[in-house]
Amino acid sequence: MKARVGGLLVAALVVAAALAGGSAAAKASCGTVTLNEQAWAGSTANTYVVKNVLEQSLKCKVNITKVAEVPVYQAMADGKTDAILEDWGHVPQWAQYVTKQKTVVRAGANGVKGVIGWYVPTYLMKQHPELKTWTGLKKDATLFKSPESGSQGMFLGGDPSYQQKDQTLIKALGLNLKFVSVGAEPAQVARWEQLYKQKKPVLFYWYDPQYLNATYQLSQIQLPKRFKGCLDDEKQGGNPKKYACAYPSYTLLKFMSKKFATSGSPAVGVVKRFSWSNADQNTVAKMIAGDHMDPDKAAQKWIAANKAKVNKWLGK
Amino acid sequence: MAVVEAAGRIATPARRPWWRSRTGLALAIVAGMAIAFFGWRNQVVWPGSLTWNALAHHLDKFQIWLSDHRNVPHPSVFFRAFNELATFLDNIVGWLTSLFFKLTWAGTTALGVLVVLRFGGRRAALGTLGAFASFALMGLWESSMRTFALTIASVSLSLAIGLPLGVLAGRSDRFQRAITPVLDAMQIVPAFAYLMPIVLLFSVGPGAAVVTTLIYAVPPAIRITSLGIRGVPTNTVEAASALGATRRQTLAKVQLPLARRMLLLAVNQTILFALSMVVIAGLIGGQGLGDVVTSGLYSNPALAMLAGAAIVIMAIALDRATEAMANRTDPAHRHLTEGKQKRLRLFTLACAAAVGLAAGLGHALDAGSVWARWTGQPWLLRQVQSALDYVQNPSTFIFHITNPIGNFIVEYGLGPLRSFFVEMPWPAMTFGLALLAFLLSGLRPAIVTLVMLTVIGLTNEWTPAMDTLSQVLVATVLTMLVGIPLGVWAAESRWTRRVLRPILDVLQTLPQLVYIIPFIYLMPVSIVPGVIAGVLYASPVVIRLVEAGVREVSPHSVEAAGAFGATRLQTLVKVKIPLAREAIMLGVNQGMIMVLAVVVIGGLVGSGALGYDVAQGLQQSLFGQGVLASVAILALGIALDRVTQGRRRKRVGDLV
Repeated sequence: MKARVGGLLVAALVVAAALAGGSAAAKASCGTVTLNEQAWAGSTANTYVVKNVLEQSLKCKVNITKVAEVPVYQAMADGKTDAILEDWGHVPQWAQYVTKQKTVVRAGANGVKGVIGWYVPTYLMKQHPELKTWTGLKKDATLFKSPESGSQGMFLGGDPSYQQKDQTLIKALGLNLKFVSVGAEPAQVARWEQLYKQKKPVLFYWYDPQYLNATYQLSQIQLPKRFKGCLDDEKQGGNPKKYACAYPSYTLLKFMSKKFATSGSPAVGVVKRFSWSNADQNTVAKMIAGDHMDPDKAAQKWIAANKAKVNKWLGK
Repeated sequence: MAVVEAAGRIATPARRPWWRSRTGLALAIVAGMAIAFFGWRNQVVWPGSLTWNALAHHLDKFQIWLSDHRNVPHPSVFFRAFNELATFLDNIVGWLTSLFFKLTWAGTTALGVLVVLRFGGRRAALGTLGAFASFALMGLWESSMRTFALTIASVSLSLAIGLPLGVLAGRSDRFQRAITPVLDAMQIVPAFAYLMPIVLLFSVGPGAAVVTTLIYAVPPAIRITSLGIRGVPTNTVEAASALGATRRQTLAKVQLPLARRMLLLAVNQTILFALSMVVIAGLIGGQGLGDVVTSGLYSNPALAMLAGAAIVIMAIALDRATEAMANRTDPAHRHLTEGKQKRLRLFTLACAAAVGLAAGLGHALDAGSVWARWTGQPWLLRQVQSALDYVQNPSTFIFHITNPIGNFIVEYGLGPLRSFFVEMPWPAMTFGLALLAFLLSGLRPAIVTLVMLTVIGLTNEWTPAMDTLSQVLVATVLTMLVGIPLGVWAAESRWTRRVLRPILDVLQTLPQLVYIIPFIYLMPVSIVPGVIAGVLYASPVVIRLVEAGVREVSPHSVEAAGAFGATRLQTLVKVKIPLAREAIMLGVNQGMIMVLAVVVIGGLVGSGALGYDVAQGLQQSLFGQGVLASVAILALGIALDRVTQGRRRKRVGDLV
């Protein structure tokens, strides 16, 4: 009798262990992955493409959070967000969370090259070819006069959350321009879009990749070449001459929470290997932001057309 | 001076010539400032030696210290306590959200509608039904339910904290005096400045979002409740205590019931304030409609509009439902017989069964997943987009009107005013404002003004602060010009009240960026959009407080005036408005605070200055800069309040 009870117990334990093992194996197979999407369309494109790859190929459950750029580092440190797929150089956070605390780990570059600079519409560049370089801009500065800038030319500054040093650059290069802060990106777009549609002159801070670059023809003004020791963060202050160089080109990076990186989930490999070109990102971003397609559908469309790239991310 | 005036009233000596009156002196001070401006324009800037530059650095270090001590395997009990609280709040919101999702939209709608039907009546229930239906129709069901859960949690906690504190503030002058500056700070200091510390203490997620919302939504609950308690006529309270009522009895049976309208206004304002935080809450993981608005603004403005509309609809439905429920369950108008009670109980049971049935049907028919794709969203988006396309087209005739107006305002109005403030020698500005404060309000306010302006200089924010001050002044003046007359009009006319109410609800809850960005397409200039955002956001509060105050005036006084043959206008001007003074002053104060509260939004739509610095502080991890700019906004607020407070507040003492 006792033996039988013991046998039953063993059998029950085996079954329980098998069940538990089964569910543990299922967990190790992928589980839930939380990606963070940032406000700009390129980030939406990254996030949804990776989401759909993880869902289709690894059967993960993917959550998307939309925490702002700086707080998201704390979210990763707490393991509430697993990964971000595009970061534009938050150096203080890297020092804090990656190097010192080791609560966030690097996951490589996402393949997209970020360019920041001063842009004018291409029609204007054609009328005034000298605008190709900043020396030409120096002569033409008053071309950009507006009621707000008085006798000076108007420069439309970028979103407060973006990297910028335009006020210092204007001072250092001795340009007759007035820096006008126009606020967040949608507000800035409103300002230059209206002037663009009227084919008027406009000069502004802008960047690439950006889905609007597919709709509007914009040209970059060449700023002085980068030299050794030239600075980009105008908040550091000091001699303006030290800032008198073009913006660097940014390698956009991916980051993961430590917890996720060490979880053994196969999704980690995909996040690490995920990398695509500016053109790829612009294609998807244009579908989402330009044509207002459902982000999941846009991502699926791109995935179906780019099996080879996706397989590479899957490590196949 | 007060003595001279008092004596003047009795003896009536020859009136002083106007240039020696207060107005004359104030004008003289302004003239002096103008002379200083034209004489030493741009020459006397705040000296660098008088700034405390290391302060921002220290603040940054403090933030890093917080982060370093929190992100360790075993944080101290201090951090664990905050963490526990965050988890608790997360769980409340999470539980509500998963309840809504489990019920599917059929069950949730049934639950909401029947609860309102049971306690609030048919009309409110229909409104609730409409609201829930519209969320599904707009294809925003899931986001709406996340926001709804967050809002329910935030509003109930805000009221649970705010109403008792408000009662306390209404009955104790000392407490009121102590808490007022704290409330000012909670409302003026932009959330952007403290989001990072909140994230460090509470992590990201719904819990942190609730905390942020609480900070903003509790102050109006306290203030308006206190105003309501104070508005109860003193003789009524005295009569109660003369009849032997204890303080508690007086409160429960006399003060609270008589302050009913103000309490309802407190609930209404708490709901609206909480929903106006949805977008900011989204930045730290609040999820829901705030996220849709933010990402929509960058890549699909029409979707941002829809999400904004959903927030507004939620606010209005929630407000009307709570109001209807409060009125229905008002013990003063409720006489339940045995039979009625029985019927009500049966009704409740039937409602519960109906909710169960709806949820079951929802599950059986896959309402959660399948029907969610059948929405009117694509069609709605197309309609909104075509409206936006029209607004964004610079070849329409509207643009040819709005564009020159905008340019004119900037060139001849706001632009020169801005340079007047920014380029004025700082000693002229500091002492000019302090003198004005002395003249209009007295010695203590003058000293406070001086100190506050010094603080602004010390934080190295002088120039942006003066820039902001010029804009805030314009916005505040416009707010008063719009708010006070409309408030009085609304108090006098039921019809106006009806028309205004939904408009005010929209203005208070629709995220400003959603309507200001299309506006920029029409008027592509800086400053103006920020000022407009300020006026549109601040006027509703002024209108509501003034309206409630004027209506609150005891009918006896009004009847008495009528009996003496006063016309309606005379009654209004000579009786109602003077008696509603306290509420009107709170309206003025709140209007100014609301204008300051959206300074950050201004920074996001082209006002630059302090708002821009604060926004940059959060988003580029310049924590110190964000905090200092916020301190400067707060200091501006206090200084403005002191300069304009006048010689009021003496009355507070004889109220209780």
